[in-house]
Amino acid sequence: MKILVGYKRVVDYNVRIQVKPDGTGVVTDGVKLSANPFDDIALEEALRLREKGVATEVVVVAIGPADLTAHLRNGLAMGANRAIHVVTDAAVQPLTAARVFQRLVEKEQPGLVITGKQAIDDDANQTGQMLATLWDRPQATFASKVDISVESGADGKATVTREVDAGLEVIEVELPAVITTDLRLNEPRFIKLPDIMKAKAKPIDTIEFASLGIEANDHLKTTHYAAPPKRSRGVMVKDATELVAALKQKGLL
Amino acid sequence: MTDPRLASLAEQLPGLRLFTAPAELEHYGRDWTRRWTPAPLAVALPTSVEEVQGIVRWANEHGVALVPSGGRTGLSGGAVAANGELVLSLERMNRVLGFDPADRTLTVEAGMPLQAVQEAAKAQGLIYPVDFAARGSCSIGGNIATNAGGIRVIRYGNTREWIAGLKVVAGNGELLELNRALVKNSSGYDFRQLLIGSEGTLGVVVEATLRLTDPPPPSQVMLLALPHMDALMEVFALFRSRLSLQAFEFFTDVALRHVLAHGAQRALDGEHPYYVVTEFDAADERAQEAALAAFEHAVEQGWIEDGAIAQSEAQAAALWRLREGITESLAAHKPYKNDVSVRIGAVPAFLHEMQALLGREYPHFEVVWFGHIGDGNLHINVLKPADLADADFIAQCEHVTKLLAATLKAHGGSISAEHGIGLVKKPYLGSTRSEAEVALMRGVRQVFDPKGLLNPGKLFD
Ligand SMILES: Cc1cc2nc3c(=O)[nH]c(=O)nc-3n(C[C@H](O)[C@H](O)[C@H](O)COP(=O)(O)OP(=O)(O)OC[C@H]3O[C@@H](n4cnc5c(N)ncnc54)[C@H](O)[C@@H]3O)c2cc1C
Ligand SMILES: Cc1cc2nc3c(=O)[nH]c(=O)nc-3n(C[C@H](O)[C@H](O)[C@H](O)COP(=O)(O)OP(=O)(O)OC[C@H]3O[C@@H](n4cnc5c(N)ncnc54)[C@H](O)[C@@H]3O)c2cc1C
Repeated sequence: MKILVGYKRVVDYNVRIQVKPDGTGVVTDGVKLSANPFDDIALEEALRLREKGVATEVVVVAIGPADLTAHLRNGLAMGANRAIHVVTDAAVQPLTAARVFQRLVEKEQPGLVITGKQAIDDDANQTGQMLATLWDRPQATFASKVDISVESGADGKATVTREVDAGLEVIEVELPAVITTDLRLNEPRFIKLPDIMKAKAKPIDTIEFASLGIEANDHLKTTHYAAPPKRSRGVMVKDATELVAALKQKGLL
Repeated sequence: MTDPRLASLAEQLPGLRLFTAPAELEHYGRDWTRRWTPAPLAVALPTSVEEVQGIVRWANEHGVALVPSGGRTGLSGGAVAANGELVLSLERMNRVLGFDPADRTLTVEAGMPLQAVQEAAKAQGLIYPVDFAARGSCSIGGNIATNAGGIRVIRYGNTREWIAGLKVVAGNGELLELNRALVKNSSGYDFRQLLIGSEGTLGVVVEATLRLTDPPPPSQVMLLALPHMDALMEVFALFRSRLSLQAFEFFTDVALRHVLAHGAQRALDGEHPYYVVTEFDAADERAQEAALAAFEHAVEQGWIEDGAIAQSEAQAAALWRLREGITESLAAHKPYKNDVSVRIGAVPAFLHEMQALLGREYPHFEVVWFGHIGDGNLHINVLKPADLADADFIAQCEHVTKLLAATLKAHGGSISAEHGIGLVKKPYLGSTRSEAEVALMRGVRQVFDPKGLLNPGKLFD
């Protein structure tokens, strides 16, 4: 079985995001970029399935500008067999990303697509679901546990534990399917430095976005960006009585 | 409170909190060393400068010795009270007093934990850069009294570099305001610098004004596995010349075994005798390429066998834990600690002599090496075999420390790089400081604390 993994590059989780003064976006110049944390988890899960013998090939996919090569090499160093880079300088909205994956799915015929439940830049939480619909295959979102054995994989079945509002939900899906990862699914491995050197020999297919024949139908329009309001200073109270009085005054008690 | 001296203290300072219960005497009477039996007279926890002055004046009146006390994470017995002293704990003086954006300084009370200082700086968009594993418990006053170093010295220097001003209560109870945060002040002796590293023997630090600085650019953390000791300083020289280092720390396979047993996450497979955790600026891909190129070069030279790179802050923390978790993972083995330094240029020769010396003298003990190798600072911890009595173990270690001190002297090094002399290293001060220097120290002490009430018996007799 082949697994396709969404592997998006985003502004690093630890960077303090700054909005451009004119409100047209956030500052990305000179800012550290890393793999979307949920995508690291997706890749880790795919690698574990390959190590278990369930999968035979793991392919990382990124959509974005020409300078994504170093990012994809990290995915290859972590253990992916090869990478696909769909090249575009334009911002990619969830529906467009899902359509790109649909094209790649047609070409690659994977048994499983694993993506993050969301990317931490736009927090859209849509691409995996949209892909499942376009592809007309089952989806198991917010996965915190994925059970596929060599036998069940051959039978075309995966058991997935999902994180839902009420707690955990266990579902069985027929493969091929789309799984999106939640934070507790696994702890991604460290990248070994020698593997970064070896990854230079692994193939990266580049595909021009235009050649896929997809219309980048941008339904979402961003009017402007703004920083969240600064938290106002707290009020210090002397004791419990004062606290209760303050809460009552605010109508909270 | 049967002791009339304590009764008079309580009378003079009615609001002062005093502890006399045995559990509290034990808790506040010792630091991380476990060699001395705590036996203080009592524990005082003042909340104001005036109360500290009152305690010092009372001590002068009654001839009671005082032990200034912070977070008691000290590793040299500096905050131990084993002879009926009054422990003067700054624990309850732990507030931020002010931030000055023009000066970029933070003024705090001396009992504030290091981590709280770091967080207060961060809230202003700046950093207080001194950092090490005891951050959650140690106090800024204790950092100042020991001129603490830590894991960022390579970039930022020791505590000394960051002290803009101090308020200190001297041995006679007088309050001194030292340097008042001036950047330039060419007006004679700088007592602020004298107080830094004085281990509680010249005055009680009650407030400190700290310089803050800009946060560093985004960084990357690597773990490197090295095949032999000589590779350590080769890799250090290479990385320092090609990257902008924030930290360069080393440990051995023995240390790794202990932190892993203590719950840290393994990052590399295979057996390697030496490891380095290094952190460097990596704002863009160019810097990351430079780091990889340096790694490749070191591999070609045979200086590095394997390595891992953190992909996230969580992974960076996991790599750091391998280094920072060592001290805690050893605590149960009652380690005998050495904290020594030589010039960076003298490290390779010194390491070889140390390896030969320790191999010869400690054939049966487990010896754990780690430390701030990029600063020429090495921690050598000797673990006590479970079946050996404490006193016998220490006696054997003391014998080796004499030899170690002689080696250090030959290399112009120091018997205490960052932990202080306290009680533990007192017999060896002469290996690092000349007789004339020690005589001057005594003279200085006499001036600040004429009755010798501040931390007597520490640093020198
Ligand atoms: C896990 C661990 C890791 C460590 N790592 C490092 C490291 O990397 N680098 C390093 O330098 N140290 C390290 N240390 C040692 C220790 O944390 C530092 O020496 C620290 O600065 C001590 O601060 P404290 O508040 O605990 O001081 P204490 O132990 O309470 O006191 C230390 C000395 O300072 C004096 N003192 C304390 N407060 C005052 C005051 N307000 N006025 C005057 N004198 C005072 C005491 O009398 C004593 O002599 C480590 C310790 C641990 C347990
Ligand atoms: C045009 C001009 C511009 C200046 N600009 C500055 C400036 O920008 N910043 C600044 O800080 N200063 C400045 N100065 C002042 C002066 O140059 C400095 O103070 C300088 O450091 C003095 O050095 P010196 O060798 O001339 O010392 P001297 O004038 O010879 O002596 C100065 C003091 O140092 C003592 N001293 C000298 N040598 C020793 C020694 N080896 N051991 C112990 N004590 C010693 C002397 O006893 C005396 O107390 C300036 C002076 C001039 C004329």
